[in-house]
Amino acid sequence: MMFSARWITATALAAASFAALAADPIKIGVSGPFTGGSSSMGVSMRDGVRLAAQEINKNGGVLGRQIQLVERDDEAKNERGVQIAQELINREKVVATVGFINTGVALAAQRFYQDAKIPVMNNVATGSVITQQFKDQPENYVFRNAAHDSIQAPMIVEEAITRRGFKKVAILADSTNYGQLGRADLEKALELKGIKPVAVEKFNIKDVDMTAQLLKAKEAGAEAILTYGIGPELAQIANGMTKLGWKVPMVGSWTLSMANYIDNAGPGGEGARMPQTFIQEPTTPKRQSFIVNYLKTFNPKNSRIDSPVSAAQGYDSIYLLAAAIKQAGSTEGPKVKAALEDLKAPVEGVVTTYNKPFTKTDHEAITANIPVFGEVKGQRVVYAYEADFKAASEVKVKDVNAKGALTQKK
Amino acid sequence: MQILTQLVFSGIALGMIYAVIAFGYQLTFSTSDTLNFGQGDALMLGALVGLTLVGHGVNYWLMIPLVCLFGALQGAFVERIGVRPAIKIKSEFGWIMSTIALGIIFKNVAENVWGRDDLKFPSPLPEAPIKLLGANVLPMEILVVVGALLMMLAVELFNRRSIYGRAVVATFNDRDAAKLMGINTGLVITFSYALSSLTAAFAGVLIAPLTLTGATMGAVLGLKAFAVAIIGGLTSGMGIIVGGIILGIAETTTGFYLSTGYKDVPGLVLLLIVLALKPAGLFGKTAIKKV
Repeated sequence: MMFSARWITATALAAASFAALAADPIKIGVSGPFTGGSSSMGVSMRDGVRLAAQEINKNGGVLGRQIQLVERDDEAKNERGVQIAQELINREKVVATVGFINTGVALAAQRFYQDAKIPVMNNVATGSVITQQFKDQPENYVFRNAAHDSIQAPMIVEEAITRRGFKKVAILADSTNYGQLGRADLEKALELKGIKPVAVEKFNIKDVDMTAQLLKAKEAGAEAILTYGIGPELAQIANGMTKLGWKVPMVGSWTLSMANYIDNAGPGGEGARMPQTFIQEPTTPKRQSFIVNYLKTFNPKNSRIDSPVSAAQGYDSIYLLAAAIKQAGSTEGPKVKAALEDLKAPVEGVVTTYNKPFTKTDHEAITANIPVFGEVKGQRVVYAYEADFKAASEVKVKDVNAKGALTQKK
Repeated sequence: MQILTQLVFSGIALGMIYAVIAFGYQLTFSTSDTLNFGQGDALMLGALVGLTLVGHGVNYWLMIPLVCLFGALQGAFVERIGVRPAIKIKSEFGWIMSTIALGIIFKNVAENVWGRDDLKFPSPLPEAPIKLLGANVLPMEILVVVGALLMMLAVELFNRRSIYGRAVVATFNDRDAAKLMGINTGLVITFSYALSSLTAAFAGVLIAPLTLTGATMGAVLGLKAFAVAIIGGLTSGMGIIVGGIILGIAETTTGFYLSTGYKDVPGLVLLLIVLALKPAGLFGKTAIKKV
């Protein structure tokens, strides 16, 4: 009885405060790198987020309140991410935060949200450990609607080893958290196929010469290069191959779709393949309207979204949060989190239709059956396989039993 | 063998990139005992200005003198704003902070003007590699090596043969005596900064087609070039070239024979060894500071 009495008081209070605050906007933090090497992802993500917020606000907002975005540039630096998290939580008093492009930044910053009981929706960062960071705690406030590395690494291996039949592969990964965690996942996935990479090489952000790494791969007889890095350095790998006159296929994480890879690698970058949750093709009405509105609002160069995946996931992340806030009827962190874990109504997004995307123990909205392979062709990312393109109008929804993901260490 | 040739060639190309930037450090050091720590940013500005000019349809080769002019003005600006006041009050370290500060300001300005992303600099030469002694070399890499050597040669000739160059050398040898001989040492120092940023800007457009062009391109290169200047000796043009090539080859060969994770280590170890055994650098003259 005590419980229900308290519950009624709480509801009454919530209702009262709701009426009083009806005009107050709902603040949502956006943290991502809008400058530097990962900025094409950060900016596309932010623009996707802006587009979704605009649409929601135009249709009357959530709970009768407008969404107000508080955008901060974390410069892909862990320490900036931490400062921003503290600012957004303590000064801006955000209801939730979306974003994080860089795994390292996410890992450094999201503990503050966890402590403050504010949900975080990782819409781009892919490091496998991100949603596992607080698994041992009773409540986990970290969610994700991006394809994590435990999905991507096996997909890359499947593509290179099974579909294209390469026996000898080399791994080139950058020295950041992202690159090294991805490299570990790639090695694990290769091991499952009984294959050991012939070379595993590292490079630093801003490296301008990849000769040594590529020569090692070449000498070891690699038939394909598996990559984990970000756009500018990936472009240097492609350029390095052109220089050495040694061209083997590149298959790598989704970052091979970044505009700064495609632009800087030029013709040498063609043919690279990577897992994608979204490819800029109007395959469903929802995707079509998203693409049209995005191009109209932000007018990117050559009508090409710099990072279509980031834009789509950024867009979806806001709709997921809005749905949760609406269902919770509140902006309190624990209630929004509970609603996210039990979303009653499906949310139609660009990547997929989110039908019960999260549960108490599963905070990943994307499963292994959703991403498809993209390929750089004519300076854009297109479907690598005709069959995927034809089947794209049929939206793939989350399947927790989908095979292919690496199992997580508990 | 073929592999080693390839590594050595790539190392030389990389080393010459470092050397052209390091050359700028040497130019200002040789007149005023000061360095422009914003050298990397002068290079970045040169490359971005060059990119803008090329984007407006200016031919790559015609663009180079314009960029050099821009670099010279930028260098003179740095000297007037950041270095002269420090020299005037005989501050030992004021110029360090002020050149670093100006460098950061330039970087931020560039981020706002040219955006945040790395941009592609169209290559003026064909991008297909050519075979040289069994190894692949990009035409652009040859241009960097040749361009850097020519530039350094031109500056050295200027310093040794022309009356203005002698003023520069005289200023380095004894600033006060040079002043008494009627040399406007202040102007010489300004000129050396202008020349140093000019070379940096030139280096920027030279290497931009090989590296990527963006507001952050100068930071790592500027630092590596500093290591080169220390290894080679801040007073020797020859030392800069040798130092650059040593560092470049050390990076590529370690990357291949040892581990790519350690490729930056040998160069820096070398730096420490040189500092311990021959502080003036491999080719530098030991300067005795009279107090």
